[in-house]
Amino acid sequence: MYGSLIDALPAVLSLGNFAAVVLGVITGICIGALPGLSATMAISVLIPFTFGMDPLVALGMMAGIYNGAMYGGAIPAVLLRIPGTPAAVATSFDGYPMAQQGRGGYALQVSVVSSAIGGIVSAIVLMLLAPPLAKVTLLFGPSEVFWVAVFGLSAIVFLLGGDVLKGLLSACFGVFVSLVGLDSISGYDRYTFGHLELLDGINIVVLLVGLYAIPPAIALLEEVVDVDTSTAKKLNTTSLWKAFPSMLRFWKTWLRSSVIGVFVGILPGAGGSMAAFLSYNEARRASSNPEDWGKGEPEGVAASETANNADTASALIPALTLGIPGTAVAAVMLGGLMIHGLQPGPMLFRDNPGIVFGFMWQFLFAAILLIVLGGALATNSFAQVLRLPRPLLGAFIITLVLVGVYSINGRMFDVYLMLGFGFIGYFMDKLKFPLPPVVLGLILGGFAEQNLRLALRIGGGDWTALAANTTSKVLIAMILLVILTPLFSRLSRRKKSESTA
Amino acid sequence: MITKFSTIAATLCLASITSTQALADYPEKKIDLIVGYAAGGGTDVMARTVAPFLEQYLGDDATVVVKNMPGASGQIGVTATAQADPDGYTIGTYNLPGMMARTLDRDADYDADSFTYLANVVDDPNVIVTPKSSDIDSMEKLVAAAQERDGAITVSMSSLGGDDHFFLIRLSEETDAEYTIVPFSGSAPARSALMGGHVAMGIINLSEVVNFRDELNVLGIATNERSELLEGVPTFTEQGYDLVNGSLRGFIAPSGLPEEVEASLISAFEKTYEDPKFQEAMLKSGNPISLTTGDDFQALNAEQLELAERVWESSPWK
Repeated sequence: MYGSLIDALPAVLSLGNFAAVVLGVITGICIGALPGLSATMAISVLIPFTFGMDPLVALGMMAGIYNGAMYGGAIPAVLLRIPGTPAAVATSFDGYPMAQQGRGGYALQVSVVSSAIGGIVSAIVLMLLAPPLAKVTLLFGPSEVFWVAVFGLSAIVFLLGGDVLKGLLSACFGVFVSLVGLDSISGYDRYTFGHLELLDGINIVVLLVGLYAIPPAIALLEEVVDVDTSTAKKLNTTSLWKAFPSMLRFWKTWLRSSVIGVFVGILPGAGGSMAAFLSYNEARRASSNPEDWGKGEPEGVAASETANNADTASALIPALTLGIPGTAVAAVMLGGLMIHGLQPGPMLFRDNPGIVFGFMWQFLFAAILLIVLGGALATNSFAQVLRLPRPLLGAFIITLVLVGVYSINGRMFDVYLMLGFGFIGYFMDKLKFPLPPVVLGLILGGFAEQNLRLALRIGGGDWTALAANTTSKVLIAMILLVILTPLFSRLSRRKKSESTA
Repeated sequence: MITKFSTIAATLCLASITSTQALADYPEKKIDLIVGYAAGGGTDVMARTVAPFLEQYLGDDATVVVKNMPGASGQIGVTATAQADPDGYTIGTYNLPGMMARTLDRDADYDADSFTYLANVVDDPNVIVTPKSSDIDSMEKLVAAAQERDGAITVSMSSLGGDDHFFLIRLSEETDAEYTIVPFSGSAPARSALMGGHVAMGIINLSEVVNFRDELNVLGIATNERSELLEGVPTFTEQGYDLVNGSLRGFIAPSGLPEEVEASLISAFEKTYEDPKFQEAMLKSGNPISLTTGDDFQALNAEQLELAERVWESSPWK
């Protein structure tokens, strides 16, 4: 197998195939950076055009777009608090405060380096460990996946912000949105009001864009006074190479977040946002100064960005070996493979080693290219958007968002839906309801529900079946640990303060 | 007499020329091929594989443009095809039994009479699979285990109201046993749950098992004759169970298509089907092909609808 890996290299390095990766990374960064456009959308638009292309050219572009977009999403998340992709929500927690403190340039540099590291680790794992990790994926049946979803939901506790009640209400709203659509287990329509467009549920991008991009865009328009167009100066960019040594202290976070990202990637259905949320949480828990998080801690940016790129290539492990994509983007990419007659499964590695292993190399190169292309593009050109007069920037964002949402399925219905969410988001913003719990609720709510019901069906309605095997038991123990540790430490702290008093 | 005869012959000739001209006029503009699923799915790949061959055999620099209208398991796309002008410039992909099942379990804006049935191209039969590690490696053992206790056998499959579900209901009748349905969203997750040993058996399609031969036991295939793609796998019929079922994918147009347009489209599909390059491309994408055109396709549709109605009445899936 490792021999085929080397054999695949020359074809990847040919001019056309390599140019495809470069082009893909640039396109990906731009698409990720533009709110409303996502990698999933870009690749699905690209797929029909790739029908006549050489497979490696097509796949190289997709690998580039995927990696590029995962980093690109961080740019508006840092500069405007508008995550460019769902996976960049956690990046905005600390990235945006950093930008407000005039450290936006550094935040972007941390993002690009962390993204590249996550992407490289993920690509190497894909190249070397795909078949054994596919076996890990198989261990996760409905009951195990349910516990993973619960584990992810437990992260909501940390995302609640100041007001617990408002946070929980936000989370409930997210879970409610996840209920919309066809109930795949009973076959009934839920909250669709007879609209066929709602049968497949609400696309995460529609919700994300509505909640996250519309309110700040309106805020940009509301402030008539054109104050500070010189914010770009505040980015304070130094050369990436000078900034790099100060980032080396993040190595633990890089390592931990890469592992989390890769793990979430091989679990079907979870996706980059969950990877980023989980890794942000874990990094904060491990940190010596958790109270500074959310106020501009660069390590938070590193945690989120490493994880959302670490799940790119690893999401292809279940996609290539089992046909079950780990993320929405991987699902679309699987379509890109199928269109070239490449059927997922163990035979794929035997029948088309040149293409499969070439594709893996392209992931690695795309991740490495991020540093060069992302560093130059992002810090030097995209950051200049902040120089734009605020009303122009607001109008520009709204236009982009409308086009982006329309292009997901090519229908106005999604646009109206997005504007509805924008309306809700505007008031949530004014009333200080936190937005991240909504996103997590939507992603994990439906995921948890479906798997719980499948697991119960398999277990014949017996709830103890949920904890029947070792994997489930380990997961339950982890969840209890996560929920109970803060409680205990708070109790012991109280005791200590009582005894000293 | 002879002159009279020749006049008739001449008129006939003329008539045939004019009708060929009418044929030659079609297509004069691009033909939209509506696919009810996103780019890259099984139906989409079939449509994109067929499109260039259709262009070639329709002649006259015909252009076929694939248009994806995903959503509601293909219902949005097929409704759009049903409601399009029947001029031959809008055709669409069609899935059985799904599209007919939707007319039963939902308020659909179309029915069996809304279409001109052009050609069914793919016939992907159902197979029963168990994990390689499972003790159940034959139909005999499966049926014995299923009859022991109602619901003892958990079955992973891709959806409710699809070909796999209909197959299971027929299996239940044939083997006189109750099974526990575990519907995943898609065949690949269903297959993975099976490979991980989380369920006892799975119902998937031939195309989904070909690349996983070494990981799964295939207990039988729901065809009349054994398939070349799965050597050594017996049919259910030869094992004594009357089970012939599968997922069908083809092409339809709105009802009321002008006859000569219908004829020219069907002939283009027939020529496409005969083309070895087409057969090779379909084989490569893992699609077992079998052509049924025109009236035969319509009859096939009626047969599938009848089955769906029977299942819907005896055991509605929602």
